[in-house]
Amino acid sequence: MSAHNRGTELDLSWISKIQVNHPAVLRRAEQIQARRTVKKEWQAAWLLKAVTFIDLTTLSGDDTSSNIQRLCYKAKYPIREDLLKALNMYDKGITTAAVCVYPARVCDTVKALKAAGCNIPVASVATGFPAGQTHLKTRLEEIRLAVEDGATEIDVVINRSLVLTGQWEALYDEIRQFRKACGEAHLKTILATGELGSLTNVYKASMIAMMAGSDFIKTSTGKETVNATFPVAIVMLRAIRDFFWKTGNKIGFKPAGGIRSAKDSLAWLSLVKEELGDEWLKPELFRIGASTLLSDIERQIYHHVTGRYAAYHDLPMS
Amino acid sequence: RLTTLRGPRERVVINRASLLLIPFPNCLYLPQAWLDTQDRCLGHYVNGKWLKPEHRNSVPCQDPITGENLASCLQAQAEDVAAAVEAARTAFKSWSAHPGVVRAQHLVRLAKVIQKHQRLLWTLESLVTGRAVREVRDGDVQLAQQLLHYHAIQASTQEEALAGWEPMGVIGLILPPTFSFLEMMWRICPALAVGCTVVALVPPASPTPLLLAQLSGELGPFPGILNVISGPASLVPVLASQPGIQKVAFCGALEEGRALRRTLAGECAELGLALGTESLLLLTDTADVDSAVEGVVDAAWSDRGPGGLRLLIQESVWDEAMRRLQERMGRLRSGRGLDGAVDMGARGAAACDLVQRFVREAQSQGAQVFQAGDVPSEHPFYPPTLVSNLPPASPCARAEVPWPVVVASPFRTAKEALALANGTPRGGSASVWSERLGQALELGYGLQVGTVWINAHGLRDPSVPTGGCKESGCSWHGGPDGLYEYLRPSGTPARLSCLSKNLNYDTFGLAVPSTLPAGPEIGPSPAPPYGLFVGGRFQAPGARSSRPIQDSSGNLHGYVAEGGAKDIRGAVEAAHQAFPGWAGQSPGARAALLWALAAALERRKSTLASRLERQGVELKAAEAEVELSARRLRAWGARAQAQGHTLQVKDLWARGRAGQVGWGGAQTRGCEMSQAWGPAATPGRGLHFNMRFAWDIQTLSWAKPYFFLSFLETESRSVAQAGVQWRDLGSLQAPPPRFMPFSCPRLPTNFLFFLFFFIFSRDGISPC
Repeated sequence: MSAHNRGTELDLSWISKIQVNHPAVLRRAEQIQARRTVKKEWQAAWLLKAVTFIDLTTLSGDDTSSNIQRLCYKAKYPIREDLLKALNMYDKGITTAAVCVYPARVCDTVKALKAAGCNIPVASVATGFPAGQTHLKTRLEEIRLAVEDGATEIDVVINRSLVLTGQWEALYDEIRQFRKACGEAHLKTILATGELGSLTNVYKASMIAMMAGSDFIKTSTGKETVNATFPVAIVMLRAIRDFFWKTGNKIGFKPAGGIRSAKDSLAWLSLVKEELGDEWLKPELFRIGASTLLSDIERQIYHHVTGRYAAYHDLPMS
Repeated sequence: RLTTLRGPRERVVINRASLLLIPFPNCLYLPQAWLDTQDRCLGHYVNGKWLKPEHRNSVPCQDPITGENLASCLQAQAEDVAAAVEAARTAFKSWSAHPGVVRAQHLVRLAKVIQKHQRLLWTLESLVTGRAVREVRDGDVQLAQQLLHYHAIQASTQEEALAGWEPMGVIGLILPPTFSFLEMMWRICPALAVGCTVVALVPPASPTPLLLAQLSGELGPFPGILNVISGPASLVPVLASQPGIQKVAFCGALEEGRALRRTLAGECAELGLALGTESLLLLTDTADVDSAVEGVVDAAWSDRGPGGLRLLIQESVWDEAMRRLQERMGRLRSGRGLDGAVDMGARGAAACDLVQRFVREAQSQGAQVFQAGDVPSEHPFYPPTLVSNLPPASPCARAEVPWPVVVASPFRTAKEALALANGTPRGGSASVWSERLGQALELGYGLQVGTVWINAHGLRDPSVPTGGCKESGCSWHGGPDGLYEYLRPSGTPARLSCLSKNLNYDTFGLAVPSTLPAGPEIGPSPAPPYGLFVGGRFQAPGARSSRPIQDSSGNLHGYVAEGGAKDIRGAVEAAHQAFPGWAGQSPGARAALLWALAAALERRKSTLASRLERQGVELKAAEAEVELSARRLRAWGARAQAQGHTLQVKDLWARGRAGQVGWGGAQTRGCEMSQAWGPAATPGRGLHFNMRFAWDIQTLSWAKPYFFLSFLETESRSVAQAGVQWRDLGSLQAPPPRFMPFSCPRLPTNFLFFLFFFIFSRDGISPC
């Protein structure tokens, strides 16, 4: 992984003037899904590429070591071996980008991945996920414990009340502390955009999160009513580009929640490609948080290879 | 990890995820198969049948990119045009006699047929025009169906909603060489809906209109309502002057429109012009710059807009906007239109040459040219081009910007922006980008263009009229205004040619008149002279000469001023000067003035009627005429009041739907409001209004001549002709919700037009 984003001093002039026009962004979001269609082997290649961006996620109350183990195995072998062989990609080391779990399951995950013999990073959600409505002290402690357990990426949720009431300095300070607590681990900041009220707020929160030192900004927890949507993503990607132009730091982007179909994943790839460019299309700078997406991608690749559509029982579960 | 990936499949972009051209052989199958059904030889589609006369020249229809011959197209001659017009005249009798519901059903069936065959339609269109298939598929074909449905609804309520109006008759439709079939749909839908029939003259080698005509013709009982002939531009006057053609709708280049205006002056056919392709985008410092950049892409680099774009950027955001634009341009992709992943196609050799010439000239005049994007280097492709630093006075800055060029220039203040934006003879469409509602509206209303979008560009909706002003034409498409283009009040007498054919344009209005006194003046008082009434006072004509006019019994009635081109110029200037003050009046004040005028007219009713009587009008009819005039004034006054400032909310923002555009009367611009009003109370969902408003700034009659005259001011001689050609509606109908062009009521008095007024007495029109 690349070096951390050190962040910058808080500069409110970066966000004070910004205006985001909602309808115009919606139109752009609509267009972008239709303007880049890929078919046939190009589609297969894009789908394999998408697999390598997935943060394979399980965030359920009933997670135990057994399903974590299954998930880790799936992360290591995301696509059925014979399909990869047919595509001549068997020995290319295609795995998902990371495995993402609750803090209490980090130990299990690290163990399972070790057993599977791979070094896929373990990501842990933290800071009172998904609502973020716990005391700052316990939220920081949560991060430290997860890092101790072996998580190398921490997905923190921000305190939405700070955004909705416009306390940007306080938000900056909080994320700054998260950053410090993460130590060497990567900091992914979940903006929970479904609860921020407006796209202008999304832009401002993105900018603050990047100034405070986030390595990634992430759309949502997957637990809100509205999760990763294209309009929100466009605004966040534009914020990432503005931050890059201002500081030279490339910040990663992670949409999460509601991305279920292979077709969706292609649209997300083309969105990033269109708004930021090819250099962002690598696991260090782009992730997709998803749990069921992988099976659909696998089905599509199955179809590409065999010409038949797979039943769900044809493919190993995760 | 991925850098280690190697192997034969690496070309499938696993590392770079770059988009490669997609093979598209499947797409070609349908249009080829359709062309095969015609044996690769396209004729004309007349009266529900293919017309392939012998001994006609043929023109190859080529793929604009590969140059491959797709088919040969027969060129029509005058007799083919006559046959098509005859078919349309026959069809008009039954088509217009049917109740609106029947026409509505037919239009809905046509929409269904288009839906069924949309793949053929979009692949054919993209194949022959070179436009990106995505735009045709997701934009044009969908909008074509919406247009048919909208106008079907209008047709079904025609008897009630448009009572007192009747279809004009046969409409001649003339389309330019490079056009989307949508341009045709915008015109044929309202025409067919109200009961007109259409003869479309399309340029050679454009199969899509023929396919549309075939789809419509094969629907059954009304084969002759839509006839399409393809032929060269030399047939335009032939079609326009065919007997039976009641209106010519022209869409194309400015010069051709001028020529057609000249050809048709004094003829019986009305003319609707839509000229030019340039558009304008105004980017203020309060805008969402990224979204505005997308607006520029929509306008110029997405195959949606037909032409180039003038871009005005506020100085304080100039650098930021230019950087974002250039960055965005780098991601544009051009290629063969049938490729599903291109932003821009190619538009053939002619368009490419035009833009090459423009850019070369702009460079030689000192402009900076920036080009970017993933564009094939072969000939018909041209990269997205951004021209800046073009000196304002250079010829290129005045010329129409061709596709796909964007000419950017800075402005400092809103006032300057308006001055720059309005300082062009063109007035097609424009968009204003600002997050401040007040500023956006101020700029929107200040722009002298036909259509204004706010925070969006190029949205079209069937229910919203769009059109142009100044040199961009004077016809409206869509919405109620689009319908009135093809209607006239019931009982309007047939139009007659009213100008002599042997008119000499070189001396028209300029030569010194040669009228002599009309002999001895009998009677108690000398015959009254009628002067010119310009700018609120009587004036002697520039020629200082008068012409005698006679009453119905042949006696000398009086003298009217012998007007000339200079007098017209003076009148136009007076109108220009009066306009801001008049437009600035509140609707109530304008209404009150009109009502006062009506009252004054009624006070002098007996005088006016007796003067009319002297012109040979029956006393009763004369009285009715005066009454009607007063009633007309009152009706317009009421309308000014009612439509003055209304703001209608069309619908709240529905996810994923493009905003709707407002409609206006004669001079209103369809104003697109896509103004976000956030942050809203509900988290995650802003409240978004799409306001559809009819804010008619100048509802009144003389507002239209202002713009109209400014359009033709450089050619004031044609103005006179045009002015003479139009006449009073002469019926008791309620006024349409827009201005009828330039009425010239036969009232033997000259106080009516207090704003400006001129007489053109040369051709025996009764003195106004």
